[in-house]
Amino acid sequence: MAKKIKSLSSKIVFLIAVVTIVSILLIFNIFEKMNKEAFYNVETQKAKLVLNTIEPLIALNIYLNLNNRIEQVTKQLVTNPDILSVKVLQNDKVLNEVKSKDFENNVNDSFIVSSSIFQPNSKKEIGKLVLTYSNKNYKELVGSYTTLLIKVLFLFAVFFLVFSLYVKKLLSPLHKIAKLLKGYSPNRNINIPFDNQNNEIGFISNALNNMQQSILKYSKQQQNINKYLEEKVDEKTKELKRQLYTNTLTGLPNRRRLLHDIHNYDDGALLIINIDDFKEINDFFGHTVGDDILISFSRKLSYMITKEHNATLIHLSGDEFALFFTKKPSKEEFIEFATTLINNVESMIFYHENNELSIRITIGGAYQIQEALEKADIALKSAKKSGKEFLLYDETLNVEQQYKNNMEWTKKLSWALENDKITAFYQPIFDNKTNKIVSSECLIRLIDQNNNIISPYHFLTIAKKTKMYSKLTKIMIEKSCQYFEHLDCDFSINVSVEDILDEEIVEYISHSVQKYNVSKKIIFELLETEGIENYEEVSSFIHEMKSLGCRIAIDDFGSGYSNFEYLLQLNIDYIKIDGSLIKNLDTDKNAQIVVETIVSFAKKLDIIVIAEYVHNKDVYEKVKALNIDRSQGFFLEEPQDSLILS
Amino acid sequence: MKKIIFLYLLFINIAFGYNYDDVLLKAQASIFPKVILLDKKIEDKLIEDKIVYTIVYDKIDYLTASSIKEFIDKNFQGQLDKYNYKVNLVEINEFSKETEASAIYVLNLNEHIEKIANIAKEKGIISFSYSINNLKKGLMFSLIIEKSTVLYLKKENLYTKKIDFVDALLQMVRFIETDYAQDNKNIMYYNTPKTLYVGLDKY
Repeated sequence: MAKKIKSLSSKIVFLIAVVTIVSILLIFNIFEKMNKEAFYNVETQKAKLVLNTIEPLIALNIYLNLNNRIEQVTKQLVTNPDILSVKVLQNDKVLNEVKSKDFENNVNDSFIVSSSIFQPNSKKEIGKLVLTYSNKNYKELVGSYTTLLIKVLFLFAVFFLVFSLYVKKLLSPLHKIAKLLKGYSPNRNINIPFDNQNNEIGFISNALNNMQQSILKYSKQQQNINKYLEEKVDEKTKELKRQLYTNTLTGLPNRRRLLHDIHNYDDGALLIINIDDFKEINDFFGHTVGDDILISFSRKLSYMITKEHNATLIHLSGDEFALFFTKKPSKEEFIEFATTLINNVESMIFYHENNELSIRITIGGAYQIQEALEKADIALKSAKKSGKEFLLYDETLNVEQQYKNNMEWTKKLSWALENDKITAFYQPIFDNKTNKIVSSECLIRLIDQNNNIISPYHFLTIAKKTKMYSKLTKIMIEKSCQYFEHLDCDFSINVSVEDILDEEIVEYISHSVQKYNVSKKIIFELLETEGIENYEEVSSFIHEMKSLGCRIAIDDFGSGYSNFEYLLQLNIDYIKIDGSLIKNLDTDKNAQIVVETIVSFAKKLDIIVIAEYVHNKDVYEKVKALNIDRSQGFFLEEPQDSLILS
Repeated sequence: MKKIIFLYLLFINIAFGYNYDDVLLKAQASIFPKVILLDKKIEDKLIEDKIVYTIVYDKIDYLTASSIKEFIDKNFQGQLDKYNYKVNLVEINEFSKETEASAIYVLNLNEHIEKIANIAKEKGIISFSYSINNLKKGLMFSLIIEKSTVLYLKKENLYTKKIDFVDALLQMVRFIETDYAQDNKNIMYYNTPKTLYVGLDKY
């Protein structure tokens, strides 16, 4: 709703009216009061003048005791219509009193003035003269004056009313201009009148007309600019939309597009294609080559898909593509297509600087539209895990159950961390010659809400996936170091490659060792395979710990295919032979040969050899027979929450 | 012998004396001393800080003059407002320029009126006359009783720089022209004392 214009001229007229009324009332009241006071003073002065005039005569008559002459004077006085009575007092006694005939009628409208009578030619008071003076004259004067004042003020009000109406008339063009401008728009030209007037209104009208012309010109320019900008914005929007749903490397639709399509279709099937070990290509040949292969691969895939397939090729990310079948083929056709695709890719050859490169792929498939992406992804991961080239998602894969288990263990692990239920158990390692405990391996355990002791087999993998692993390491380091701070016994802690690669953990280990002063007691157990795969990082860690006085053991030695010499350059102190070799040592001749070789080799390098997984007497006896230095296993003692050294 | 003298004087008085109106005498004795105080220049006329009210009389009017003195003393008790006064009786033959006087009151005299008037004028003092007829001979004030008491002033005799009356006095007195006394029957009429007793007890 348009806002009503508040007229400036009406406001001015209103203000003039208000000011006039207030002024008139103010002036009337002030003048009325002033003049009443002035007239009263005039009348009082007149009365006093009369008194002053007759006082000497009265005084003389009193002085000369001519009392009858006093009466002559006073009687003559009351002939004045304004004088109602005259009273002469001598020694507070009335010497003479004369009242006019109007005295009784007018006595209420009168005022009294009095003066002392002094002896002639002296200041001696000889009497008092009291005059009752009529108010009639005063009232007449006030009345006349009030009438005159009202007339003047009325004329004053009329003058201002006429003046304000004249002002309103003068300003009326402004009101008309404002009304006209109310409906103004740059595309509509308004002819503003009054431009021929030679005054401010004429100037305003002219200025507004000129301004309209300028605005019109500017508006047209602005419209052109806007049109150009709109076109550009549309162009850019389309470009952004295209980018939003397109992979910038291959130009194929991306993951967002796939999700959008899945959402919009009622039925369909999906294949996720992952290039195996694509990271190695990137690492070995560089990312540029990797990108070229991805582009080439996407093109080759595109050629393989025809219209009849009713499928869209999607580049999900890096080395992962997808094929979304908007018209579902039969299950057999779907599986056959995937199998054919794998075979075709295997036969593909990519070229780089005269080198022939080939790739392999793994495919996960979902033969249903609901949660197709997630299900195909599960199938892909299961295929990868199980080493299969293709796997179709099936409820019987029990993948969802695995996920549920993982979620459950994640919760249990979180609870244990929050409630300090991650604890260390200690399994002694015995010297095979003295049968005495020479050290102890610290093993992590979780105490669940039912006080069950849970082995790390159930939660360690989950911990690594959920970023809680470093917390577990810190707890084990802290609790183990604290436990052995005052125990005269060596102890070993398992350290994984994840720990060694984490600078914060390494710093924490170093700090704790020094804090609890256990550098001479602690032994870090590293996996043989990890030592080979991350040789430089592991070597650096060993060097740092050795500098503190710590010792190093290689755990599960013999499980891999390590180069002994290469491994032994790590300057290790202990070798713990892998349980798979010890488990059947009493009966397995091959295991005996391998263990004998390891022991012989270690002895030459002064490395202490430990047999773990010693689970029965026969094995134990064999261990001792093969000259292994130390033994660890359930046969000797199970892990306990405390260590009994005796 | 005393009886003889008294009778002589009485006889002389009866034979040659003037009959004074007692009421008028008392009125004049009451008012004239007060009129002296209406002169703004009274201070100039004091003799030894006193007002000297000199009564000039003929030898045969001695008793009248004495009775006037007695009346004034009784009435004013020796004090005219803030001033002391003295009534000085002077026989006409003894009157001269040297006679002490702040004001002169002249009883009836057959002659020497002009002389007294001139001395008064010369001294710049007020002169009162028992008889209004003497105003034409140069005396200043007289008083008669008509319907009310009227104080008469001879206008020509007022022109002196040594006398300055309060204005009100000049408003209330009745001025008299040179021939007024002769032409005015009323005044002449007052010389007949028998009719003058009405309403004068207050004096």
